[in-house]
Amino acid sequence: MNTFLLTDLISPDANVPLILPELIVALAGTIAMLYESFFPKQRSVTGVISLVGLAASAVVLATMWSGDSPAAGWNGMIAHDNLRLGFSFVFLFVSAMTILISTVWLERENVPVGEYHALLMFATFGMMMMSAGNDLVVIFLGLETLSIATYVMAGLRKSDLKSNESAMKYFILGSFASAFLLYGMALIYGATGTTQLTQIADKIVNPNFPALLLVGGAMLIIGFGFKIAMAPFHVWAPDVYEGAPTPITGFMATGPKAAAFASFLRVFVLGLPFVAGAQASGYLHESWIAAVSILAMATIIVGNTAAILQNNVKRMLAYSSIAHAGYALVGFVGAGLAKTPQARDEAIAAVAFYMLTYAVTNLGAFAIVTLLAQKNDRRAEFEDYNGIGFKSPFLAFSLSLFMLSLFGLPLTAGFMGKILVFRPALESGNPLVVGLVVVAVIGSAISAYYYLRLIVLMFFRERTSEWLAPKMPAGLVAALVATIIGVFYLGVFSGGLIERFAKSPSAVITAEK
Amino acid sequence: MDFLNSNLLTILILIPLVGAVLTLAHQAFWKQESQLKWLTLGFTLLNFLVSLAMFSTSAKPGASGFLFEQNVPWIKAINTNYHIGVDGLSFWLLILTTFIMPIAVISTWNAVEKRPTAFYVFLLLLESAMIGVFVSLDLLVFYLFFEASLIPMFFLIGVWGGQNRIYAAVKFFIFTAIGSLLMLVAIIALFFIYADQTGLGGSFDLPSILNAMKAGNLVLAPQTGMLLFLAFALAFSIKVPVFPFHTWLPDAHTEAPTAGSVILAAVLLKMGTYGLMRFNFALFPDQARETAWIFITLAIIGIIYGALVAMVQPDVKRLVAYSSVAHMGFVILGMFSFTEAGMQGALFTMLAHGVTTGALFLLVGFIYERRHTREITQFGGISNVMPIYATVFVITTMASVGLPFLNGFVGEFLIMVGMFQSQVLSVTAAANWNYIAAMFAGTGVIFAAVYLLWMVQRVFFGKLANAKNKGLEDLSWREIGLMIPLLALMVYMGVFPRPFLARSEDAVKAIKERVMHQAGGSIEKTELKPDAAADQH
Repeated sequence: MNTFLLTDLISPDANVPLILPELIVALAGTIAMLYESFFPKQRSVTGVISLVGLAASAVVLATMWSGDSPAAGWNGMIAHDNLRLGFSFVFLFVSAMTILISTVWLERENVPVGEYHALLMFATFGMMMMSAGNDLVVIFLGLETLSIATYVMAGLRKSDLKSNESAMKYFILGSFASAFLLYGMALIYGATGTTQLTQIADKIVNPNFPALLLVGGAMLIIGFGFKIAMAPFHVWAPDVYEGAPTPITGFMATGPKAAAFASFLRVFVLGLPFVAGAQASGYLHESWIAAVSILAMATIIVGNTAAILQNNVKRMLAYSSIAHAGYALVGFVGAGLAKTPQARDEAIAAVAFYMLTYAVTNLGAFAIVTLLAQKNDRRAEFEDYNGIGFKSPFLAFSLSLFMLSLFGLPLTAGFMGKILVFRPALESGNPLVVGLVVVAVIGSAISAYYYLRLIVLMFFRERTSEWLAPKMPAGLVAALVATIIGVFYLGVFSGGLIERFAKSPSAVITAEK
Repeated sequence: MDFLNSNLLTILILIPLVGAVLTLAHQAFWKQESQLKWLTLGFTLLNFLVSLAMFSTSAKPGASGFLFEQNVPWIKAINTNYHIGVDGLSFWLLILTTFIMPIAVISTWNAVEKRPTAFYVFLLLLESAMIGVFVSLDLLVFYLFFEASLIPMFFLIGVWGGQNRIYAAVKFFIFTAIGSLLMLVAIIALFFIYADQTGLGGSFDLPSILNAMKAGNLVLAPQTGMLLFLAFALAFSIKVPVFPFHTWLPDAHTEAPTAGSVILAAVLLKMGTYGLMRFNFALFPDQARETAWIFITLAIIGIIYGALVAMVQPDVKRLVAYSSVAHMGFVILGMFSFTEAGMQGALFTMLAHGVTTGALFLLVGFIYERRHTREITQFGGISNVMPIYATVFVITTMASVGLPFLNGFVGEFLIMVGMFQSQVLSVTAAANWNYIAAMFAGTGVIFAAVYLLWMVQRVFFGKLANAKNKGLEDLSWREIGLMIPLLALMVYMGVFPRPFLARSEDAVKAIKERVMHQAGGSIEKTELKPDAAADQH
């Protein structure tokens, strides 16, 4: 245990290459911010800077995957495992797509570009720290970096009341959730005397105060539950998603959600594992598995039934995103119940892969919703999609593809994601968890109704009002092409990628010291 | 030859897919909508010709006993393989699919004015998916194609359908999707049961699972087996459709465009009966035998109910749709009789129904294109102005009724014989129920004659009362050309059923053995009785 912090400062286990991907992203964000203040007129440059930063970070990350970096660094505060790598790719992808999608929106609303890109990059940095952090403090820092950037982005459209409402709601409820999270972390620290997850995992066999551990765990579930929009902590999501500018909504529904899942996985699956023969940890493990399973069922039911009732496409996608958090939780519970480290890594990879498939599909859908929404998001009602199918076939067929992928149609990304997260859950054989899978399948069947509704409107109805096909900027087209290819690629040829996600970079698995 | 042997089925799946891409490209670059139908026709014809290569006698069965087998690892993480092959069960269904597609394309020659590009692309995609369904030997791959066939049909009905098309399309989709999602859960469950019991890791591979079952390495607990059986059976029963899951069918058929109806009747419904035979019977023989009485009852209800409802339909197309419910009832009856005759008859009826009902929908389409109505009361005495049309229609109707020397007769006769010989009901019910079941089914044949002939009489004979019908033109050369292969097949299948039955003989025997031989105490009874019945003839 680290008794005196100063000794660390004197001989820190500094391993800069280990956090190079994060540093590159942060650097790109800083450059974008500075560039804007010196050359405010050149509106397209900061986007390029950010994209280059993201690409460079991805390249470094890819080399680290095959290289032989240590399993942990910075005195065990940074983990270097498949969880970090898999999720980091998801974040980089989400940010890159968001930049491409927002090109159309930035011009339409005349938003300060540099600020926007800088905030996005800082948010990405926060997300990456959340997946790499192996210490409760690092995770919290990552979360706050992400959250503060996202609060601001949600309110970027200063003149719009809805955007302001969205930002305010997100900020107040988000701070509330952060408080819960922090409190839970403090209690865990109280129970184990450490904030480092590897040490916590050792400590829970014989904790100082078992009751604190339980209460702390409950607080953490509430805090993370808020961030991933798990029922009953989801009520903020529809309002915030509807009010926020559409590209930001797409970002919030995919990036920060995946980041919260990464930390959630790391804290619970790796930090509070089941230790055979230890009573305290067994009870803790059993409790959180049961709690998360039941909440996941509630999430799936609430998300799917509420989505049916929506008349606004963004709100429908918000509820659908709640339902998808529920499906991902199925894999999360499966990871918690895994019997071997290998099975656990596979289950974690399944959740990461699920978040990737969801991100690809959902960002594609949001790209189109952004394009069609026009200024101030005026056209986001279901009616506005009436009969556009053959008027703008490319857009309409792409949107249909994304809807079918969200539904989980075979040969699309969504299907593969679902199969993968259901698998570890079914493998566990735990009756409650098998019940959860059944609920998830029934939920998917229900979801057919509201996803199809959009397709039916676009293709089977005739347009009554006039339709001006929107102009498609290059950035948006690039994002669409990437997501369409992604949907098919992940749905058909995902074999190699899944194996990749499940493999830890070095022989040592997950910072086992 | 080796290349063809192992890649033929993949080529069959790919040709329409390539066709779809080229159709899109053609439209994007040349914008010649009038050429699209030629392009589509070319690809479907090509696919038909290539599929004829399956008759090649030099083909040798692959590792799992299937012809043209191909097994390529697909996603290692979940151990799923692109494993395809064809055997007696699927052989003719595959030919039927490739055969009916060009006909469906020609039938739309002048009918599709709205968005032809998308229409032809969907037709081609549908063909790929249908072929995939019949050749998949991996449960997950089968599920993929089974679901994939849903989307093009959903669009075909929803965009190019009639008045009530949206309702029909959504109903079609939701009914089928709910059934198949439960099947997906059963497939994944089977994967883990396999992993658990064999210790080899999970598998979606049908031959592997079957081998493990035959070797006794994989034994399903009765309750688990029943749940899995029901999950599979529900998906397929909706697709067939078995009464009471049939309600989507009349809507979908009536609202679909002619080509859609033809494909729906000829091929899509057969996916259900094929699935029951391929998966339910093979994987869960005990449960199939135990639930046979339920399916036989539902089949008889379907036959009689379909016929009675068909009788009172004012709309010709709806009438034909309900006749499908009755015919598919016969197929289910034959399958669940678990006799060689009954199951062979079921397979034969699947083909015969595909040809005749497909033809009936085409004929209904012809008159609809001329008059834009299908109400029986709008017609009468049509044979006076359209003699060729009337002749063709009457022959097709006779085939559908089951006149000897036409294809409908052979299948229905075999099914009745099979039901008479059937021992499966004696497992669960009193000994002579099979006779009663066969007799009830027999009344269905009479009803079929009633509703079809009555409709023919009202439409074609009598006085030409409605003035609007006076100017009707008889069939064009294109339409006649379209019908000739179908008529020829009706006669050929009726006179020479042997080649069709011979292909499936071994496969059917194997299934029958599997289902009836595991009956425990009743093994001897099963083997003795059919012979006794045969002696009496």
